[in-house]
Amino acid sequence: MSYAYLFKYIIIGDTGVGKSCLLLQFTDKRFQPVHDLTIGVEFGARMITIDNKPIKLQIWDTAGQESFRSITRSYYRGAAGALLVYDITRRETFNHLASWLEDARQHANANMTIMLIGNKSDLAHRRAVSTEEGEQFAKEHGLIFMEASAKTAQNVEEAFIKTAATIYKKIQDGVFDVSNESYGIKVGYGGIPGSSGGRDGASAQAGGCCS
Amino acid sequence: MQEPELYDLSDDADYAASLQQESASVMMTRSDSGESTSSSMPEGAEVVYLKDNVTIHPTQYASEGIGGRLKLIKQGSSLFMAWIPYKGKIANARLSERDRSLYTIRAVPLTDVRSIRRYTRTFGWQYIIVVLSSGLAYPSLYFYNGGVKEFLATIKQHVFIVRSLEDANVFLVNDFQNPFQKTLYSLELPVSIASGPSASVSDGGEYPSFELQGRIDGSIREEIPGPSQNHGRQTHKSHDPARDLTIQVLEKFSLVTKFARDTSSQLFRESNSNGHGAIERSSSHSPPDISNDVSMDAKVAPGEGTVPSDPLEFDKMTLVWGKPRQPPLGSEELAIFLDSEGRVMDSDALKKRIFYGGAEHSTCKEVWPLLLGYHAYDSTYAEREYLKSTKKSEYETVKQQWQCISTEQAKRFTKFRERKGRIDKDVVRTDRTLSFYEGDDNANVNILRDILLTYSFYNFDLGYCQGMSDLLSPILFVMEDESEAFWCFVALMERLGPNFNRDQNGMHSQLFAISKLVELLDSPLHNYFKQNDCLNYFFCFRWVLIQFKREFEYKKTMRMWEVLWTHYLSEHLHLYVCVAILKRYRSKIMGERMDFDTLLKFINELSGHIDLDSILREAEVLCICAGENGAACIPPGTPPSLPTENENALLYTQEDEIL
Repeated sequence: MSYAYLFKYIIIGDTGVGKSCLLLQFTDKRFQPVHDLTIGVEFGARMITIDNKPIKLQIWDTAGQESFRSITRSYYRGAAGALLVYDITRRETFNHLASWLEDARQHANANMTIMLIGNKSDLAHRRAVSTEEGEQFAKEHGLIFMEASAKTAQNVEEAFIKTAATIYKKIQDGVFDVSNESYGIKVGYGGIPGSSGGRDGASAQAGGCCS
Repeated sequence: MQEPELYDLSDDADYAASLQQESASVMMTRSDSGESTSSSMPEGAEVVYLKDNVTIHPTQYASEGIGGRLKLIKQGSSLFMAWIPYKGKIANARLSERDRSLYTIRAVPLTDVRSIRRYTRTFGWQYIIVVLSSGLAYPSLYFYNGGVKEFLATIKQHVFIVRSLEDANVFLVNDFQNPFQKTLYSLELPVSIASGPSASVSDGGEYPSFELQGRIDGSIREEIPGPSQNHGRQTHKSHDPARDLTIQVLEKFSLVTKFARDTSSQLFRESNSNGHGAIERSSSHSPPDISNDVSMDAKVAPGEGTVPSDPLEFDKMTLVWGKPRQPPLGSEELAIFLDSEGRVMDSDALKKRIFYGGAEHSTCKEVWPLLLGYHAYDSTYAEREYLKSTKKSEYETVKQQWQCISTEQAKRFTKFRERKGRIDKDVVRTDRTLSFYEGDDNANVNILRDILLTYSFYNFDLGYCQGMSDLLSPILFVMEDESEAFWCFVALMERLGPNFNRDQNGMHSQLFAISKLVELLDSPLHNYFKQNDCLNYFFCFRWVLIQFKREFEYKKTMRMWEVLWTHYLSEHLHLYVCVAILKRYRSKIMGERMDFDTLLKFINELSGHIDLDSILREAEVLCICAGENGAACIPPGTPPSLPTENENALLYTQEDEIL
């Protein structure tokens, strides 16, 4: 499958906030309440289109438990985008955002685009974090923000794509040297003349549905 | 600067005996500390060399050294070497007092020493490895205050010592043969691996197969090509025993692996097997000759495919290697292992039987508690029944501890609430596709939760960590009893608890051991990982954390666990399983020049595609090949090894997550 660019994403946040569900909703367009908890890291991939260019997202879905942080940190390397997820019904997952952000800032590329996602917006009746607080936190830390629901798919597509669009814009603006893969961007076939081929083969989980 | 206290050896019988000879005045000719040691010296001995801060590193961590004092002691015409660790607090809990006495070198006569090898590292300190005539090697002695040269010079003054012709850094002690006739065979150095990365590799060579002697009987040794002669041997500067071993093991193993693979792939074809075949097929798209891509590796040691294959040798090896797996142990056969009252008559035989075949589901309930150490092998049916009932009430007591926490109390008990919340979230994400755990309000899911919560009270320091539910799920499935499952889980966690330590030290020591084993058993692959910044081996994390639970289907996982739990060939067979899997895909990994990310993804996606039986056979072969040298790659106390006595108090440094 040809793509103009491949972006590496990483999904981080406390355990049980719905990271794997967001990924599955994005790649497979389904919500699976019964799934195994993530040990280490899982992968997903999907093609999207931005500015008429096919872009492949390779998404790393990480384990959320604190004990595994030292391992998770090694996954930040070369990520172009991060989805930092909390659960709007559990205050503590919001309280821990600063610590996640610190990890990301320390171990990821400085130009990594971070999207803050308040997940489980379908459970508004059990809300423990207001939308305004989420917005405020994002604003203070220079993040993009959305509330989403992996269950209803609300804003899931938008969150992944908006992140990609932001990264894409950074490329257009010359923020990245795309030949340097440490930015989490690989240039592939299909759009950029004279570029080298993407090495990443078709992923087993690739949904292949271009939007 | 610390002023180390020395062990007083005057009351040490061995030490005293070794020094009860002629008398001479005690005189110190060399001392860096200026501190007199005469008080602890028996009469008649003279310290002719003394060096402080000579350190050994039993684990991979530079910080975990045991400092000590190295001495050469002259008594009459005999020279003795002694290394006595300093007294005092050892900083790290992993090094116990026992380690310290374990490594102490008590006045070994130089006549017992075969050779001394000097290592001069580009960065870091000089160290030496002392090899005894018996073949035993002491751990590397690091000279943090320098002094290797003086050490050797002092020996030279008293003992006949010559430089090896083959390697200028090897000094032969009491070598009265004509040095020109010396073959390399007599120079073979057992490897002391634990210390630091090995020197860079250069041109290879054939080395004798002494390392294979360990666990294999003599008849087998004859079938393996014998020690090569020394004809035309080149002297090379970076002669490294670890590398030598790697080469010879690799040479042997590449034949064996190839054989095993040929056989197993044949078996797969015959048995119309699963996705494993598909992986193998797809890997054939990768460049077949990796030596083009990895030219330096090819020079170091022959990779698969480049080794000349001799079918005759394969035939011989069938007698030895890759024993075919047996059918699982059934209940009728199990009965043969038991006496009339239910005692296991020969526990080693039972372990061996399970190692080679596993156990049928019907016998697991009886066998697992034995393998895990919950029941003793020599217990009778009646004793096991009795234990079961007393343990049941003990379990209920611990369970009560959290059951009686009221809602009001829980409001003020954050740790409890957090743990419970985490466990609640995770048990509903554990094996729910199995009928045993599927569906809403599944009773077994609730039992999982109760056991995990009870365990987090039973072992409050360790608490709960993700991965535990994966380990518990098959145990409950097999035991079908809450209390019995709990106690089996407790027994398993005695071994694997450190996997879940907050500082991840158990995981790190295992990943480290894998890296050392790969270095030993497949140096080209090791070099590849090194060059590609993959030496943290995080891609093996999930394999190790939950014992391959996510890599195989449920029943196969249980088979794997039984085999691992026998501890038949090694407590650490699971590490050899890791190496075996990596070796199986080595040409794909290197051929496609996978970077860390690609490798991690590749390994993740191997899940469900690894053939259990053939990988166990390969792990067995690797384990035998590596022998003592393999064991030396694994730091003391690496899970599932039981911790040494002194560490118990500090086993779990886990704290709850407070961010």
